[in-house]
Amino acid sequence: MKYNKVAAMLLILALSFSIVACNTSTTETNNEAGEEQTQLVYASTKDIRDINPHTYSGEMAAQNMVFESLVINTEDGVEPWLAESWEISEDGKTYTFKLREDVKFTDGEIFDATAAKLNIDAVMNNYERHAWLELVNQIDYVDIVDDFTIDLVLKNPYYPTLSELALTRPFRFISPNCFIDDNTKNGVDGYIGTGPWILTEHRENQYAIFTANESYWGEKAKLKEVKWQVMPDHQTILLALEKGEIHLLFGADGDMIDLDSFKALENQGKYVTIMSQPIASRAILLNSNKEITGDIKVREALQYAVDKESIAEGILNGSETIADTLLSPTVTYCDIDLKKRTYDVDTASKLLDEAGWIIGNDGYRYKDGTKMEMTIYYNSDNSQERTISEYLQDNFKNIGVDLKIFGEEKQAFLDRQKTGDFDLQYSLSWGTPYDPQSYLSSWRIPAHGDYQAQVGLEEKAWLDGRIGKVMIETDEDKRQEMYQEILTYIHDASVYIPLTYSRTKAVHVPSLKGVDFNASQYEIPFEKMYF
Amino acid sequence: MRNYIIRRILLIIPILIGISFISFLLINLNPSDPAEVALRVNEIVPTDEAVTAMREELGLDKPFFQRYIIWLGNSLRLDFGNSYVNNKPVSGEILNALPATLYLAAVALIMTLGISMIAGILCAIFEDSIGDKITRGIIFVATAMPNFWVGLLLMWLFAVKLDLFPTSGMRGFTSVVLPATTLSLSYIAIYTRLIRNSMIQNKNENYILYGRIRGLGNWVIIKHILKNSIQSSITALGMSIPKLISGTVIVENIFAWPGIGRLCVSAIFNRDYPIIQAYIVMMATLFVVCNLLVDIFSAFLDPRIRRMT
Repeated sequence: MKYNKVAAMLLILALSFSIVACNTSTTETNNEAGEEQTQLVYASTKDIRDINPHTYSGEMAAQNMVFESLVINTEDGVEPWLAESWEISEDGKTYTFKLREDVKFTDGEIFDATAAKLNIDAVMNNYERHAWLELVNQIDYVDIVDDFTIDLVLKNPYYPTLSELALTRPFRFISPNCFIDDNTKNGVDGYIGTGPWILTEHRENQYAIFTANESYWGEKAKLKEVKWQVMPDHQTILLALEKGEIHLLFGADGDMIDLDSFKALENQGKYVTIMSQPIASRAILLNSNKEITGDIKVREALQYAVDKESIAEGILNGSETIADTLLSPTVTYCDIDLKKRTYDVDTASKLLDEAGWIIGNDGYRYKDGTKMEMTIYYNSDNSQERTISEYLQDNFKNIGVDLKIFGEEKQAFLDRQKTGDFDLQYSLSWGTPYDPQSYLSSWRIPAHGDYQAQVGLEEKAWLDGRIGKVMIETDEDKRQEMYQEILTYIHDASVYIPLTYSRTKAVHVPSLKGVDFNASQYEIPFEKMYF
Repeated sequence: MRNYIIRRILLIIPILIGISFISFLLINLNPSDPAEVALRVNEIVPTDEAVTAMREELGLDKPFFQRYIIWLGNSLRLDFGNSYVNNKPVSGEILNALPATLYLAAVALIMTLGISMIAGILCAIFEDSIGDKITRGIIFVATAMPNFWVGLLLMWLFAVKLDLFPTSGMRGFTSVVLPATTLSLSYIAIYTRLIRNSMIQNKNENYILYGRIRGLGNWVIIKHILKNSIQSSITALGMSIPKLISGTVIVENIFAWPGIGRLCVSAIFNRDYPIIQAYIVMMATLFVVCNLLVDIFSAFLDPRIRRMT
């Protein structure tokens, strides 16, 4: 009798599981059956989360699929998008945008001057959250001129206005029907945009399905669907790629794929691996506000002590180019003639001798009885940074400097950035299209490692003032001149050891075509891809 | 019996209060400022104005004890506040993720029970045979292998090479097989040994000898041995259930399983304190309750325990 009961219970349990199984499997099957592949599966370690375009909780690549901006950043500069043209007033303070008249949100709502103003106002209503972006501080108000024309009025003639309007967030447009109490800062009621993709299904922490927008105003997406598959573990992603469950990996700086695996996949020859143009700068910050690194001679010596070629070739597998200057000459305003400082142990040693650091019996340098030791901090999640740190340790030992390396968890690493409690620390520029203007602008914010490392410089106040001024300089030549001043100063002050220029990487199955990069490393141009 | 149960239940209350206080305290001792963290996880530069606004929004400007009392009061109503990352209620987030974890843990439990019973019984019957030795060898290795490694090996072999299961994700019944196997492997090892050893012990008891003398059949004898051996395993199993549920963290990450283990890991990386706190309290409660149930169950089986406490 007892056993019958147990058996019955087991049977019920088994049945209930098969019901659960049936439920979850219904949405799956449509993938491989069709003769033509129209669904792209993209693997990401992160869920798309809340893709409200006016906040920062969602994945940028997903926000970019659904929401669009007035203008876009391209390799050739800013180009029209939802605005078909614009005019800038004499004084550089008023931007008049003529909007396209054929754009509709995917809920049928027309994208017009009212919708545009409503969106920009919603961003401005939450301006504390956007304080990192100088444009938000510069916007005075938005005026509706006619049904399809708006005036954007600034407080100063802020020159990066157009390129900052083109960023993935926050100046993108969501249907007015999604607003809650005329605002978006406390959440939105749906994710309706004007973009080439519509978010049709989202299972949190599992996947999201984006369907092509059939009534898109521009060139329509070639694929029918993009499935954003969440896989938190990198190894799982690689195995899923090998099994053919996913078609594309895409990401910057070890985000989705580390360099070793990238190289391994490249060598396998089964997949297509591509890299973007250099987009951001990898550098080491030298804290000018610390005892030892406060001496400019020491900082200069360290510039010569690093064998960048071996780092680029040996550690980064030749996938990144050596950086002689903090910002690549390909970045706007950054093609400046600066003194190149290549690996040279003798020069480095000579400079340290001059600074009064003399080699002791143990091979390390001493000054007034103090040993020359410093610590570099890195994010322990990033294996690449650890390897580079170890390599630097060896480089520095050659010139008698004892470099300690200290890996810490990401949040602790960021906390350290803010307090400035470091001798050396990793730094990555923001990348195009944020470089140079938004990146330099952030040097003025104390919460940044850049600010902390620069705060010991004699001319820091001048530097910050200069950065503020260049942003509102209307004359192109003067602007170039000011950037030159700023970048020359920071180069000569040796606060950064530039290492390499990083690139965005993509790995995909050979049957997928049209994989390319946008100007921003955070966006993925799915609409151009096809099988 | 009733008094015993009531006494044990009343004892739980101070334990739970203690746990809630310690978890709240530990998280508040963390050097990172939660307001700043809340800004940073959303990739907002923590300017001074933004931090102040966020502190007010999260109620962090109040003194420690006041915050604890408020939090405790709300927790009792299952309101654990809102996540710093997406601003959604924590209880909702946990309830969303819980079924996936329970499903995974239940399948792992069934696998553990099924396989370890069979393996344990067979090993005991054929004690010291080659089969017994091989099984024990496998068990030894399985206990020693770390979870994430086993998971990846299984995924490589059964999903990629043999193409039997999907690599990851929760899609249909086949997808639960690999994560559940990974999760149950070390438990199978433990229980097989437990069942085997206590059966061998029972085999040498007098009642078995008498049974044999009375001429009982082999299967009847095995049934008797099993019945007497299984009790220690059941007690151990009671404590394995919360362990199974809380031990899914790594497995869920590898197999992209949308459960609370993953919720907790990402909360830890993001310093999403409300979720971490809720998770700790929930898991602690689960352990305390399971422990209580096991104790009551043992007391039910063995009157000596009731009298002792």
